[in-house]
Amino acid sequence: MKLVVGIIKPFKLDDVKTAVQEFGVQGLTITEVQGFGRQRGHTEVYRGAEYTIDFVPKVKLEILVEDSEAQGVADKIMEAARTGKIGDGKVWIIPIEGVLRIRTGEAGSDAL
Amino acid sequence: MISARLRDARAALVADPSLRGRAFGASLASVLDGALIDVFTEVEAPGEVALVALGSYARRELCPGSDVDVLLLHNLRGRNASRTVRALTERLWYPLWDAGLVTGHGARTIKESISLADEDLDALTALLEVRHVAGASDLTIELERRARELAVRRRGRVLRALAEGFAARRARPGAIAEMLEPDLKEGSGGLRDVQALEWAGWTLGEPGATRTLVARGFLTAGDLARLEPGRELLLDLRVALQRVTGSRSDRLALQEQDAVAEQLGMPDADALVHDLASAAREIAWISADVWMRVADSLRGPAGRAGSADHVVAQGVVLRDGRVHVEADGDGSIPALRAIEAACAAAEHDVPFDRASLTRLRATGEPTWDVWERAGFVRLLRFGENAVPVFEAFDHEGVLVRLLPEWSHVRSRPQRNAYHRFTVDRHLLEAVAQCAQLLDAGDAHATGGFENDIDAIVARACRRPELLLFGALLHDIAKGMPGDHSKVGAQTAERIARRMRIDSEGREIVVWLVRHHLLMAEVATRRDLSDATVADNVAAACAADAERLRLLYLLTIGDSRATGPAAWNPSKAGLVRDLFVKAAAAIERGEARALAADRREALVKRLGEERASTVLDRLPESYVLAFDVDTICAHAALLESVPTVQCEPVGGGNVVVTVVAPDRPGLLATLAGALSVGGVNVSDAQLFGTADGLALDVFRGADPFGRVVEDPARVVRVIERALAGEIDLATRVEERRRSYAPFGERAGPVTVEVNTDESDTDTVVEVHADDDVGLLYRLASAFVELHVDVRVAKVATLGQRVVDVFYVRDANGRKIDDPEAVESLGAALVARMRA
Repeated sequence: MKLVVGIIKPFKLDDVKTAVQEFGVQGLTITEVQGFGRQRGHTEVYRGAEYTIDFVPKVKLEILVEDSEAQGVADKIMEAARTGKIGDGKVWIIPIEGVLRIRTGEAGSDAL
Repeated sequence: MISARLRDARAALVADPSLRGRAFGASLASVLDGALIDVFTEVEAPGEVALVALGSYARRELCPGSDVDVLLLHNLRGRNASRTVRALTERLWYPLWDAGLVTGHGARTIKESISLADEDLDALTALLEVRHVAGASDLTIELERRARELAVRRRGRVLRALAEGFAARRARPGAIAEMLEPDLKEGSGGLRDVQALEWAGWTLGEPGATRTLVARGFLTAGDLARLEPGRELLLDLRVALQRVTGSRSDRLALQEQDAVAEQLGMPDADALVHDLASAAREIAWISADVWMRVADSLRGPAGRAGSADHVVAQGVVLRDGRVHVEADGDGSIPALRAIEAACAAAEHDVPFDRASLTRLRATGEPTWDVWERAGFVRLLRFGENAVPVFEAFDHEGVLVRLLPEWSHVRSRPQRNAYHRFTVDRHLLEAVAQCAQLLDAGDAHATGGFENDIDAIVARACRRPELLLFGALLHDIAKGMPGDHSKVGAQTAERIARRMRIDSEGREIVVWLVRHHLLMAEVATRRDLSDATVADNVAAACAADAERLRLLYLLTIGDSRATGPAAWNPSKAGLVRDLFVKAAAAIERGEARALAADRREALVKRLGEERASTVLDRLPESYVLAFDVDTICAHAALLESVPTVQCEPVGGGNVVVTVVAPDRPGLLATLAGALSVGGVNVSDAQLFGTADGLALDVFRGADPFGRVVEDPARVVRVIERALAGEIDLATRVEERRRSYAPFGERAGPVTVEVNTDESDTDTVVEVHADDDVGLLYRLASAFVELHVDVRVAKVATLGQRVVDVFYVRDANGRKIDDPEAVESLGAALVARMRA
């Protein structure tokens, strides 16, 4: 099993959700996060007050999938989240040792 | 097997939903009593031993998941005592454990029990109401007598600890009436509150429990009667909840509410939450009243005598840390007085006197004259301190007199993962959060929160009271059919009319309620780098910066009041970004509107044709820079090239306007000529026409007043300079040298070259101390570097000058190659130091 992790622009969440659902993903976890990549933070000015945005708001997705589906899900996220502008985010895939469904105790693929 | 029998009997009780609350507790207690008596008989316990039920088992208020608290009370002494007791308890407790009952248990002598109770409040309260189950009943009676004696002896300490516990439950886990997932036992207004009152009664002696509180005047008989139904409902719910979940939790989670309601035969979960909230409110309210009186009695007469009466308003007095309200001769209280009393309670953060609260029930209809309205706004502005005041008013029916729509939101649940509070408390919390934002705005005015955008926005609000009204009403239609924003806007319109808010204010309040979700939605779901997104929000605000400010603050206040899931730094960043962009869009729009107005006025004055000869040749920024009179004057100048004009404008200042064919170095020539002519330039605006003319306007002063006396001299100098008849470099340097010994030493020169600010030009910003010919030297440096200055802004701030130049290279292209940018900056600094 794999964990597909994506960092995307917040407004792209609905598009990405629809795309991975259409692909057949059963569930996903999201977290509102902040960070910086190449986009860095930036300083804005309003009425003479400078405020620095060190960390840019993003949404982090985590999706557990079968090995065979990981690349497909990652591709879907990429397609749906892409605007072509800086700060579109990243997707990465992590191998998973094991998964349990808490309610039933099902393990592995059965728990997805 | 006793344990098997016990387990089956308990399971049968749990499976029988007709046994509600107290009936279940009593049945389970009887089953346990029977089992324990059987075991006790079986083990042939010695005569100096008793089995005593404690806690909810003693009160016969057991729930399916309750701990069963039992005590083996003994009077055994000697060497073998402890071994005998251990053998005895193992045989007694094992059947309970085997039956799956969680037991709190102990084996102690009376002396040990009392000494433990003296150290630990929970141990003491557990002994105040015990029940004898088996064995030597005289031991049980003696234990109870001594525990009650101890409670009286330690009255002050116990009462303070109980009062603190009551206050702590309000903060955590929170008030049952206001929480969407309340804790039936530990929540404020829950079972623990009722028990705490009973324990408080025991510290005051016989006849015990709440009866003592009534006898001593801490609790009225009427209030005692009002406590009972609430306690019964809580017991019913707790038993039903634990039946449904099969667990010991007392937290009525959203997902269990339907099943619990069904088991108790209630129409739906909303009805359940509503009934529960009413009951819990009553319990919390009456408890608060008792603890207030207890606090008074603990302070004693000496504590109360200190403060003199303080008349706050007509008929409103602050006395002994309470707000007292007087009624008129006919027993009624004018609405204004009620509002002023509320303000006093909020301002001084003190409760109402109980009798005054009862009198307040006779508050008259508000007329919403300017005084009542201002008082109401003041009350809202107190924010967090106003919340208990609103709760008190709601309890006595005063709030619905002021705002009848409140009855719709009272204790109304909302079923989603974001919210923490019921609708009514959420609205008050939103008001409190908005008031806090306004506080930050006030602090900003006196030097705090310098870099806090929210504070700057709050400070800029023209009508902060509309924010408070918006916060109070934004969810007023939650739970009505239809979109709560739309329906709420209609309700808000009705309320605003009744409160006689002026028409502009009314329109804005209604608009705020209608769009209160707009910014949060757009910020999280739209691409903020797309300019049309901010434009659309600006348009939704009717391009009114005040509306945008109020909506922004309401978005923050509403989100913070919702719960931790609705607001975090990430979302705050998005909403702020949207605000700043929409504010810029509104400003751009205002500029566009201003430019359009000026164009229209020019056409009227000059006629279509002449106006267009000016407007078509000059950029938008030109139209924004000058008023219509000046533009008309420029139109005449543009018809005779070249022209130099120098006009005194008062205060020793002159405006020099030059129209000439544009060429490299023109700015340097003009700046040099002005310096030679004795004009210290404080402001320069340079424009180029589409057909190659320069229209440059300088504002400056002559510290010696000669220029104002003879402006023609300046004109002559400029004309000669344009004709190349003056060696400007030499003349300017001479002047600079003559003045240098008298001026202050020039400070550092800093140059910043920015390639991000404009798409078409490189922006050069120079900070330097004001100096003779400074602009000339800068402009000359640009000429030497083959840099074309297209726009210059000169601003003099006292001794310091900030000059901003929009420049391109000799081929008319933006300079953005990093090397070129760096060498441009370095070359400028080097030349300015020379």
